[in-house]
Amino acid sequence: MKPPVFEYVSPASLDDAIAALSAPDAGDVKVLAGGQSFVPLLSLRLAQPSLVVDINRIDELATITEEGGVLTIGSLVRQRQAEHSDVVKKACPLMAEAIPFIGHTAIRNRGTIGGSIAHADPAAELPTVAACLDAELVARGPGGERTIPAAEFFTGFFTTALAEDEILTAVRVRAAGPATGAAYEEVARRHGDFAMVGVGAQVRLDGDVVAEARIALSGVDIAPVRASKAEAALTGRTVDDSVLEEAAQAAVAALSPSSDLHGSAAYRKHVAGVLIRKTVATAAARARENR
Amino acid sequence: MSTREITVTVNGRKRTAHVEVRRTLADFLREDLGLTATHLGCEHGVCGACTVVVDGHTERSCTQLAVQADGREITTVEGLAAADGTLHPVQQALRDNHSFQCGFCTPGFVMSIYGMCEEKKAGRPVPCSREEIREELSGNICRCTGYQSIVDGAEAALAGAGTDTTGGQA
Amino acid sequence: MAGGSAISGLVGASVHRKEDRTILTGTGRYIDDVQERGMLHCHFLRSSVAHGRIVSIDASAAREVEGVVRVFTGADMSAITEDLSFAQPIPGLNSPSYPAIAHDVVRFVGEPVALVVAESRYIAEDAAGLIEIDIDPLDPVMSTTAGLAEGAPELFGEVVPGNVVHTDEQLFGDIEAAFSQADHVVEQSLDQHRWACNPMETRGGVATYETGSGQLTYEASTQTTHTLRFLLAGWIRHPIHQFRVTANNIGGGFGLKFSAYREDVAVCAAAKAIGGAVKWVEDRNEHLVAAGSAREEQLTLQAAVKADGTLLGLRVTMKLDAGAYPINPPATVYAGLVRTTLPGPYKLPAYQFRHHIVATNKASYISLRGPWAVETLVRERLMDKIAETCGISPVEVRTRNLITLDDQPTKMITNVTLEHVTAAETFQKLVEMVDLDEIRREQEAARKEGRLLGFGVGTFIEPAPGTQEFWAAVGFPFGSEPCRIRIEIDGKVTAFTPQTPHGQSHETTLSQLIADELGVGFDDIRIVYGDTDATPFSMLGTGGSRAATMASGAVVYGSRELRKRVLEIATHILEASVDDLDIADGVVSVKGAPGASVPMAQIAMGCWLAPDQMPPGTNTEMEFVANYDGEGGGFSQASHACWIEVDQDTGKIEIKRFLVVEDCGKMINPAVVEGQVIGGIAMGVGGMLLEHSAYSDDGQYLTATFMDYLMPSAPELPEIEIEHLEFESDKVVGSRGVGEGGTVLAPAALLNAIDDALAQVGRPRVTETPITPTRMLELLGVIEKE
Repeated sequence: MKPPVFEYVSPASLDDAIAALSAPDAGDVKVLAGGQSFVPLLSLRLAQPSLVVDINRIDELATITEEGGVLTIGSLVRQRQAEHSDVVKKACPLMAEAIPFIGHTAIRNRGTIGGSIAHADPAAELPTVAACLDAELVARGPGGERTIPAAEFFTGFFTTALAEDEILTAVRVRAAGPATGAAYEEVARRHGDFAMVGVGAQVRLDGDVVAEARIALSGVDIAPVRASKAEAALTGRTVDDSVLEEAAQAAVAALSPSSDLHGSAAYRKHVAGVLIRKTVATAAARARENR
Repeated sequence: MSTREITVTVNGRKRTAHVEVRRTLADFLREDLGLTATHLGCEHGVCGACTVVVDGHTERSCTQLAVQADGREITTVEGLAAADGTLHPVQQALRDNHSFQCGFCTPGFVMSIYGMCEEKKAGRPVPCSREEIREELSGNICRCTGYQSIVDGAEAALAGAGTDTTGGQA
Repeated sequence: MAGGSAISGLVGASVHRKEDRTILTGTGRYIDDVQERGMLHCHFLRSSVAHGRIVSIDASAAREVEGVVRVFTGADMSAITEDLSFAQPIPGLNSPSYPAIAHDVVRFVGEPVALVVAESRYIAEDAAGLIEIDIDPLDPVMSTTAGLAEGAPELFGEVVPGNVVHTDEQLFGDIEAAFSQADHVVEQSLDQHRWACNPMETRGGVATYETGSGQLTYEASTQTTHTLRFLLAGWIRHPIHQFRVTANNIGGGFGLKFSAYREDVAVCAAAKAIGGAVKWVEDRNEHLVAAGSAREEQLTLQAAVKADGTLLGLRVTMKLDAGAYPINPPATVYAGLVRTTLPGPYKLPAYQFRHHIVATNKASYISLRGPWAVETLVRERLMDKIAETCGISPVEVRTRNLITLDDQPTKMITNVTLEHVTAAETFQKLVEMVDLDEIRREQEAARKEGRLLGFGVGTFIEPAPGTQEFWAAVGFPFGSEPCRIRIEIDGKVTAFTPQTPHGQSHETTLSQLIADELGVGFDDIRIVYGDTDATPFSMLGTGGSRAATMASGAVVYGSRELRKRVLEIATHILEASVDDLDIADGVVSVKGAPGASVPMAQIAMGCWLAPDQMPPGTNTEMEFVANYDGEGGGFSQASHACWIEVDQDTGKIEIKRFLVVEDCGKMINPAVVEGQVIGGIAMGVGGMLLEHSAYSDDGQYLTATFMDYLMPSAPELPEIEIEHLEFESDKVVGSRGVGEGGTVLAPAALLNAIDDALAQVGRPRVTETPITPTRMLELLGVIEKE
């Protein structure tokens, strides 16, 4: 279990990194951020790139800013840094709730926000958060910068809309306003494992009525899934047990997860419903507290 | 074969070496510097036996490359006890509680618990209850002990952290 | 408590471990820490096909890689080694021999097909990727049922006809009469999944061949240096007097490292062929795929019982999935252990046991901490089912059938004498500590709130070390245990044991015993292990939870003999009789006259340097090899109680409380005992709830990383409460082993608790493991089974 031979560069600027990625003779290039999934893939030789572009020295990617109601988290921000950031806790409580479910402390100390999103593991937390909040994913390539809506970003199992010569530079989300609450829950075989099912929910209330509901699930498809039917079932309603049940049923009916050793399809569907009820109830309660 | 020259401060000592770019930090510490306390239990980031402290934070040394450690400061288990053999308070607490058996996972646990104690000294929130300690230690796998004795040791180490002035050099 | 016990002073105290300073500072020498001069590195290319015929293998591109020293194909390796054979004169045992590296047929995913030796592991892996191998697939056999089916592909042709490695039926007592008298016949079955030892340090070794002297040294991560040496010597065609096997720190074994493996053969042969030092350390991926797994057994039981729950007879059938290749010990030992132990501490008048050991296209079936454990699991679950059938409580059914101290000595139906066995007493104590009525009230109250609680108990005996009769019934030798003890020239003590401790703290416990027996300081004692050049021969090393009795006995008797010699010399120097002398802190003195004393160092120095000048007629040999026969051996015992809560939404099981009452006799070091008990329970719990060495129907291995093979971590395990009984027999060494019992009994208490929870909501019992959240929701009827 040792990494294969590859060439390696560690540029100090984004431009240099993009230049390395887009060099005509670059071959199979991979970006190395926190490396918590990628380096194991190298050691297992499941990834055998010709060139690794290490972005860890690009300090400009490691900042968290909030401006004009928009929270921008640089892709190189460590998960642990975001977890303890007061700015993140306030502007993106869903992310702050979700991060502690990622692996373990030593993983989060190294793992990055952008790395997890670009890796696009369908069981991972941060892609689910991005999908839930309709985050904008900022990418830079040789042609310049573009933003990709989360709904278009996650295209399949470990695949994204990023071009091979693009780097994910930041995640942008609209800062949570008043009367908004968020909750993240997941069920994994062990503490810190990738989820069999995870659910992120964010609810904004208008009085007692749901003005906006956002729900996304991990572990139930080849990419994070928005529970749009459940969101519709909640919008304009007062959250109570029967509404939660209706929303959960609407969401679950639309799911077709696959089975693996850790959880059957039926199990995932059942738990998806359980977690939707739980997270939406919690998010709504928190929204009420934040009015 | 692509190589780089790197300079890393390990346990307070500056070390310069040529490394192949694909070499993991763990292999660099173990094979090139001879610091074999950092163990490899899985080489894919799950078992935690290779945990070291990099620039003040616990990290896995199997999931990063040696070249990435260039210019950084690393503490391994070899850096905790004093030169005269006096155990670091974390090590002593673990010894007092018969925390370990075969010893293979031990360096990773020692560094994780040391990391928790350093967090506490720095005034950051750390686990208090035994349940929280168990969760915080979930990134380290031990096959021998069932963890109870390790939680005992971690609890004692955390209780002492920030109150001691003697002990190890790191 | 009997008078014969030697034990006082340090023994009985939770003395700080000698091992800890080394392991806490990272100064140990585990196998991957070894760096010999010019050492080369190995990597095995392994089959990705479960069953197939090797058509061709081309390693020419691999041989061209810079830094590659040698590539061995199966044919290359077979030219310099003998096939591994574990055949023994056991009637009906079909034990195929096999090459270190496959050259004609591969029989499991992970079987070695080539060995690359290179300047680094990185390069060896690069080169392995360039080896082209063409395997013509054959149909794989992936279960005992498939293997026994009419027309099933035969893994080894006529060598293992019908894939049956061994089959046997044994009858004890009048089983027909038992069933004809029964008021009830209670049936139960269990299909246990495959799970694995998974020590944190995998297998591995460093073989160093000195071309000048012809000396070969193999430093290995092993539980048994001497057995490894004599097995390997033959297979690698090396004269045994020029072959030394050593072991230093060992990162866990749990039974896995008891055997010699084909990789050991290949690595030693490669070192000889190349003429230097060669290291192989199995990576976790290889370990999970190829090192072998345990526990895959299917059992069906029928119990004949009276209306009041009294056991009359038992019929048991076991199928054991042996995987492809035999290892040490032969699979008949596992079947023998299960058969012999299954009646446990219960009165059983009649018994029939039938087994089939079946070859399949999987990695080898290996020993795992209490390899007989399924007997306790099925028996204790059967007792609960008998209770339910007869309308009595799980406590009553056991109390009515258990053998108490008053019943002993008595014979198990399997012809094993039980004496000083206190399983019934541990169970009685457990029952006193638990209020069953209160538990039932709490369960009812919880159900009203929509919560589901379960409670389970179990009891058992652990053959640690077992008795002569027990091992004869199993079909395995019960050897005595040697120890060489030396009082050094400065009065300090070195003891050489064939044990190869890997976490069991023998350096500490044996030193405690020597300190007390010889009157020397704990820190003035060193325990030497893991060197066939230095330690006396034993086939067993560390395994079978023997050390607490056997290794302890050897050091006690050895210390006593040396003490006798020292005191005899001192009688002349101090002009006092032996009865008036005492040794403390390495000084022999006359009782009540502290001024009249002589340091042991002075006596030792005289004996080593000038034996002629020592008092005439005294024995001046300061070294002695003691052999301890175990004084007949004996059993440990324990009872467990487990409280769980089942989350009916997610199927997750939380262990709320776990109580142990154990009796391993006199505890040498209570902290060590508790560590063994808790660690054992953790392994049992992990095995039942999380761990699974899983194969697909076409023979691919599905859990090849720690992302998929789920080791229990701290949050998944409960706090465990332990009560010790410390009943002592009248033997010199009143200590019994305690290394395996936790893993043996905990699954029974846990599954009984799960069955108890299921019963409260009218659901059927568990018949298959592991109990994943999915399976739990299926059992609860919340989701459909796929």
